[in-house]
Amino acid sequence: MLISDLFKTASKGVTVNKSRSLLTMLGIIIGVGAVVLMTGIGKSMEGVILGQISIIGPDTMVIMPGSQGPEGGPASVKSSFDALKISDVTALKKLKTIDKIAPIIFVSGEAVYGRERAAPQITGAPPEYFGNHVLEATQGRLTDQSDEDSARNVVILGSDTANDLFFTENPIGKRIEVANRKFTVVGVLKPVGTQFFQNFDERIIMPFSTAKNIMGRNYVDMITFQRIDDFDVAKSDVEALLRQRHGINVPEDGSTDNDDFLVRTSAQAQDILGSVSLGLTIFITMVAGISLFVGGIGIMNIMLVVVSERTHEIGLRKAIGAKRMDILVQFLVEAVLLTIIGGVIGIICGIGFSFLIALITQKFLSVYSFAISYPSIGVALLMAVATGLIFGMYPANQASKLSPIEALRYE
Amino acid sequence: MFDIDLIIKRGEFVSIMGPSGSGKSTLMHIIGFLDHFTSGKFLFQGKATKEMDDDTLAQIRATRVSFVFQAFNLLPRTSVAQNVMLPLLYHPTIQVSERVERVKKAIKAVGLSDRADFLSNQLSGGQKQRVAIARALVTEPDIIFADEPTGNLDSKSGIQVMQALQKLHEKGHTIILVTHEQYTAEHADRIIKLYDGKITSDTTKFKTRKATAKEFLK
Repeated sequence: MLISDLFKTASKGVTVNKSRSLLTMLGIIIGVGAVVLMTGIGKSMEGVILGQISIIGPDTMVIMPGSQGPEGGPASVKSSFDALKISDVTALKKLKTIDKIAPIIFVSGEAVYGRERAAPQITGAPPEYFGNHVLEATQGRLTDQSDEDSARNVVILGSDTANDLFFTENPIGKRIEVANRKFTVVGVLKPVGTQFFQNFDERIIMPFSTAKNIMGRNYVDMITFQRIDDFDVAKSDVEALLRQRHGINVPEDGSTDNDDFLVRTSAQAQDILGSVSLGLTIFITMVAGISLFVGGIGIMNIMLVVVSERTHEIGLRKAIGAKRMDILVQFLVEAVLLTIIGGVIGIICGIGFSFLIALITQKFLSVYSFAISYPSIGVALLMAVATGLIFGMYPANQASKLSPIEALRYE
Repeated sequence: MFDIDLIIKRGEFVSIMGPSGSGKSTLMHIIGFLDHFTSGKFLFQGKATKEMDDDTLAQIRATRVSFVFQAFNLLPRTSVAQNVMLPLLYHPTIQVSERVERVKKAIKAVGLSDRADFLSNQLSGGQKQRVAIARALVTEPDIIFADEPTGNLDSKSGIQVMQALQKLHEKGHTIILVTHEQYTAEHADRIIKLYDGKITSDTTKFKTRKATAKEFLK
């Protein structure tokens, strides 16, 4: 039998009862659709998280107060914890494996310009901070060392904050009130967007020394710095110094349970991302596997019904010269065709839904973008075809084994 | 069935007659390469068929013989032309380019040219059986087996079907007809009667004689 005849015959078998074929395909549609949808969402989320990492420079590391907690357990960050002293910062500056040390103090209060009010996150940070995070000014300038040294009352506005307070007016040189003190606006930051549901464009940055004076504290909320040497060397140097200064003993098993600070790198974030996406992939594969298995059983079930419904036809085909293999291949192609059509419908649905989800999510998370994972589409389609082959084999074999006489006599 | 001794020559029109349960269909299935037999010999064009595997038998069914069934066995919701074309899909030597021409010729031979695009379920019983005959002759087989071809038809349609078979015989096809109706059987040159699995008579037109192979060969 020619391949073209085979496909014509099989497609007739599929189209003759369209609604039943569609119901038969449902398991495959859901399985393949789920894979395409979930991998698409996974890829979009990866983009969001990678975007988050990219605004932290690739060599930037962060020290936060808090403890690691038990191994494998969740890390806890205690933000108002006073573990990181200003004297620690001075000591860190002496380390040779790190530089660009930027202590950060968050200032509470709001910003007022005329009748406009805004509640941005007010951050006190030295000029090194702008290099550690990838921040640039679109108007005016960033704060510099002389602002820092003289603890000047100058601020840089995040793009949203600038918009909230000044709308179309040029903010540079204007006097605003921040945390009940008068400040001069010297610059506006380039927008970086929303990251992790936190709008980084809604903030005000002032010199660290100014913030320290306002808050009157001898500890900081966070320290960012850049590694010079290897991440591991820089990390262990920082940890050793802080443990020594804080009088922390490391237990013999090397656990970090006693630490009152955490050192994080962007590489670590990428590792976490990697393990999250691996977990997601395994999860999706299992969901798809179960769905395709159930879909496959549905296909086997219907194909067995089809074989028994078309026993007469099989008998006739055999009587006019069809060989066993002709019948086997005919029913196998029909089963595979069902799964391919189901797979294609699943792919279209999966892409459609991830597009819809992207449209909705973008309203809350502007950096979320629509993405499709092309390899997963290929894999899902292959899995669907394999399902058709595996679950179509038994009914097709049953059909091919029928004796022509018995098949013709079948009522 | 037992004690069957039978020779059918090329170009004959033979009726196999008998009441139901006499074994006439079983005999047709065996000599039509559709069924296996337990003992004895069946030679086709001088070759023993007992040792042939299923694929070889399928090949013979595709190229040398064809069938007309009582229940027509047309594919439902499929056009006349496609039904007639069906055996060509399994024919190993007929080219794709020849198909349409052969189908047209076969449909014309049974007088259904104006119905070629009709679906099989839109036809009357007699028309269906003529489609089945067109399907049987489209591969130009040596032998056409007809199993009670008029059994499901009114007498007028039955006459048309028998005339069609008669014409094929005149063109040189060997026709083997299984029937329990004397009238239908009378179309044949030779009538073989079966009862309880045995041949009780073998009559050639105008002349009755005992059917043994030896005598037949004389």
